Amino acid sequence: MKDRLRRFLNIDRRWLFLLLSVVMIWPIIHPSGIAGRTTQQSVKDFYDFIENLKENDFVILGVDYDPSIKPELQPQAVAALRHLFRRNVRVCILTFISGAPGLIEEIKQTVPQEAGKEYGKDYVVMAYNPNYMAAMTQMSIDFYKAYEKDAEGNTVKGMPVMKGINTYRDMAGVVEITGTGMLDAWVAYVGDKYNVPIIGGTTAISQLGYGPYLQNRQLLGLLGGMRGGSEYETLTGRKDKATSGIDALNLSHMLVIILILTSNIILLVLKEKN
Amino acid sequence: MENSLSVILGGWLSAGITIFLFSFLYKDNPLFKIAEHLYLGVGMGWWFIVLLYGTWIPKAYEPFMQGEYLLIIPVLLGISLVTQFIPRISWVSRYGFTFIMGYGAGLVLPLNLATDFMAQIGGTIKPFAAIASMSAGEFINYFLIAAGAVCVLTYFYFSVEHKGFIKKASNIGIYFLMIYFGASFGNTVMARFSLLYGRFDMLYDFSGARYAFATPVIILLTVCFFVYRHIADKKKAGITKTAKAE
Repeated sequence: MKDRLRRFLNIDRRWLFLLLSVVMIWPIIHPSGIAGRTTQQSVKDFYDFIENLKENDFVILGVDYDPSIKPELQPQAVAALRHLFRRNVRVCILTFISGAPGLIEEIKQTVPQEAGKEYGKDYVVMAYNPNYMAAMTQMSIDFYKAYEKDAEGNTVKGMPVMKGINTYRDMAGVVEITGTGMLDAWVAYVGDKYNVPIIGGTTAISQLGYGPYLQNRQLLGLLGGMRGGSEYETLTGRKDKATSGIDALNLSHMLVIILILTSNIILLVLKEKN
Repeated sequence: MENSLSVILGGWLSAGITIFLFSFLYKDNPLFKIAEHLYLGVGMGWWFIVLLYGTWIPKAYEPFMQGEYLLIIPVLLGISLVTQFIPRISWVSRYGFTFIMGYGAGLVLPLNLATDFMAQIGGTIKPFAAIASMSAGEFINYFLIAAGAVCVLTYFYFSVEHKGFIKKASNIGIYFLMIYFGASFGNTVMARFSLLYGRFDMLYDFSGARYAFATPVIILLTVCFFVYRHIADKKKAGITKTAKAE
């Protein structure tokens, strides 16, 4: 008995990797639909902010992440854009991350078509800009100094989507989805300075750090990681990648908890026997 | 036809590199090395192209050619940074760095102080102005935030000896920090699993007929490669053993 328990503790970790893979792949093949409740107030606030936007309002959607964190953030960006389009809000997508243009292109190929939105009239995608500080500051004086041309090389000024937009004063807010410190920059350089409402989506790792901004209402809503994305999808009524991912997360977390408990109990038993 | 071929090729490449990188979990191998080097090379190439076509050409070259000659100043300041690699004239880079430091500090310091320092102090104290109209739950919430902030700050205050009341407060601060680190670690695990799920989800997508069954075929080939290597290694070990015995 003792030897068997010891053998369990010294199990080759590659078996655990295999077990974790099976546990994660199973819900992809057979979704169980365990997820479905929204419990985080910050997610509700994020949803309410977009829900309360008026038709024809203008919003900046920052897509500032690269493919390495796509599974966590792309579902958030897709859900937010769908929600913005449903509210008939004009959207300006921009990025300060060099790895993001490809991901924006992916979103651009699907979401606007679904919503029946037209490029240049309902939304626009700006070219990648490496200097976020300069761009954020310039947009407060003249938007077109920061972005003269869109991602396709068209002149931005004069596009129907940009009608009446010159500075932050003409915008209803900023929705920033990021795995970097870009959300902090939007809050510090734009939100606090020019009184622009900011909501954000971020990775689960960064989520806790934004507690003070939420408490202080410097940030009006926040989606954290895949869980935040899934809860937001539930609120919007369109379940997608984040919701199906939560099934896999639930099962894998359960496996980790079971393994931690089992190995601790075994250690206690062995200690007692010794 | 061309489109479907490029889709299949993209799927095979993506699934292949993912599986090769995952193969490291079994053990270090040449397939992993290939994927690792490809990743670094492609990353650098992508970065270069994005900077060339996203910054240099539209922000420097094109405006300059259209007569905005003053752009030469920031361009020279930028190029001066590269002199860091040439020890003899590396002092030139100081001009570029000086500009970056001055511009960055001037912009960042006041705004970050206002957002991350003053606003947070205000946010911790302000709720107590409405203490009379607070519910018990709200009071506990705001009290915990204020007490937590003070205790954690006390823990990092080293100008006085930590004994008596200061020691007690800093010990409570440690508990607040531990709760934060615990929650943070939990979220980190969740985030890593999310990324793993993303790759598995992608591999599942690539396992269909649309991608010519990329995932199962590559997994099978990878397993065959490991079996072959295992047999070859065993054979090699056997030959060495026999040679040593002789």
